Amino acid sequence: MQQVTRRWWLMASFGAPFTLGLSASALRVRLDGDDLRVAAPQFRFLTGKPLEKLKDGATVVFLTQLSISTEVNAPAIKRAVDRFVVSYDLWEEKFSVMENGADRARVSHLSSTAAEAWCLDRLAVGIGGLAPDKPFWVRLELRAEDARDQAGVLDDAGINLTRLIEIFSSPARAQQMRWEQVAGPMRLMDLKRESRSARSG
Amino acid sequence: MKYALISLLISGIRLWGGNQQPLLEPAEFNVNSRYTVESVELSREIETRISHGLRQDIQELIGEKLNPAALNDLAKRIRSELHVRDVTQKVLRGNVPDHVKVVLDIAGRKNEWDLSVPKVVYHSTQGFSGAVEGTAILGNNRITAGLVSDGDDLAERYAGVRARYENRKVGSDRLRLRFEFASYHEQWNRSTLDALGKDASVPGIYRNRQDFSPVATIVLAKPLTLSFGADFQRFDTQFPAAHTQSANAAITTLRYERRLEGWGADQQELEASYSLRAATKALNSDFAYTRHRWHTRYSITRGKHTVSDEAQAGVIIGQAPLFERFTLGNSTLLRGWNKYDLDPLGGSRVAHNSVDYRYGMVDVFYDAGAIWDPGQDAILRHSVGVGLRKSSFMVAMAFPIKEGRASPIFMVGMNY
Repeated sequence: MQQVTRRWWLMASFGAPFTLGLSASALRVRLDGDDLRVAAPQFRFLTGKPLEKLKDGATVVFLTQLSISTEVNAPAIKRAVDRFVVSYDLWEEKFSVMENGADRARVSHLSSTAAEAWCLDRLAVGIGGLAPDKPFWVRLELRAEDARDQAGVLDDAGINLTRLIEIFSSPARAQQMRWEQVAGPMRLMDLKRESRSARSG
Repeated sequence: MKYALISLLISGIRLWGGNQQPLLEPAEFNVNSRYTVESVELSREIETRISHGLRQDIQELIGEKLNPAALNDLAKRIRSELHVRDVTQKVLRGNVPDHVKVVLDIAGRKNEWDLSVPKVVYHSTQGFSGAVEGTAILGNNRITAGLVSDGDDLAERYAGVRARYENRKVGSDRLRLRFEFASYHEQWNRSTLDALGKDASVPGIYRNRQDFSPVATIVLAKPLTLSFGADFQRFDTQFPAAHTQSANAAITTLRYERRLEGWGADQQELEASYSLRAATKALNSDFAYTRHRWHTRYSITRGKHTVSDEAQAGVIIGQAPLFERFTLGNSTLLRGWNKYDLDPLGGSRVAHNSVDYRYGMVDVFYDAGAIWDPGQDAILRHSVGVGLRKSSFMVAMAFPIKEGRASPIFMVGMNY
């Protein structure tokens, strides 16, 4: 049996946060039909100021972008953007989320982690044209919407995707809450394929 | 036939129903919208300062389902009426299940730093005048320091520093305290110097002036305030011999300021004030005089149209130093005239009225006024002008109405 030395304890103590940090930043990428989806159980955005605002009965709007690029910092070759309106039920102490996409899906009575997971689960970026053996990077970006960016984001047809892409093309404002996770390099041929029905079932 | 009509009606209703889109959720859906507003709490500052109409609209939220859009709209109106940076909205659980309380307060007023430009104006005959101030807000306390160079207000151009401490809530919201200090260096126009040589009744010029003024303000009733205190002015007179003089006065101002509403979409504002400065030997003053000033302003806004009338009158009894004397012919009074042509020493009597009509950004105005001293005839003078005003910025051209050649005066600036 391996002896537990002082050195082992030291390495474990100092290494644990680092290891946890790495695993916290990991995006779980999977294929769902012709779409690429992500999950990030450690990716927490219903915290801090947005959470305070929600508990004051306000809505907080999050803008998201899931993108694929060939290099870690290269421009995206494929992307999907979305907008989520989150509110917190003051009496039931549960979260409600509405997606501003075409179908305006809405869920309620969720815990904060379930609400976060739901938002990420709605994101899907198409993989059409992506070679199975070509390495790529996946980037998940999320920003709390700044009031100055609201103009033009919503129109009669729902969200204006071009406007959202424009927003993500420019740097976040100084005071704007933002989160980002990157995963890669990876190849389509290595990814686990999973269908939505299988997950939900 | 009867059955045919009924079936037509039924099929019409079904067709109409079939064409209806399912009701969509609002884009910014808030799950708390299903709760009823039990009460709306306003901070003292909002409660005391907002208009009657706005307060009524806020009260109308009570008993209704929470409407975040309406709440945002009201917060915006409060911000606009009170000229504050932000209004916080909190929705809390009510005392009764499925009810919520709304709490509105002014945000970011506890501690903050503010840089402002109380005045900047270019006048084609008087040059630039401007002031810049920095204010530290620490709870109810405001400490302000600033620089000023003003050749517009008085017969002199005064430039220097000024500082102010203000407590806006001394024990109660009804009592405020203010201490002001200023130190100026004066410059004089050639016309003023020439006129002084011919008029021995007006005290001479000075190079420097220091001013200290402690003032308390009491809110008598919501729109009515009374300020009282003292003003200690010390200045270095140059002629006939260089020496220091003082003009120390007891000061008081009664001010009425109210926003009136009630005629549909009209918004009316009324301001009226009377101020008195009484310099007396009892305060160790070298000058003894009383200076009275009355001022009223009324404006009515409907849509893009605004009409306003502003009148003021003033009387000085006794011999007052030059900085106390009234002037006309600057960027706000009898616009279009040059104060150095009208009365380079200023006057001890003044009467003035100004009518402005604004449509959107376009502003046209008519000024009339007279300035004189005892023993002189009061000559009424007129001027007209046109300008563009956007928020606090204004650019205008004003013309004196007189016989002979009338040169227009150009003015551009902010907050003047």
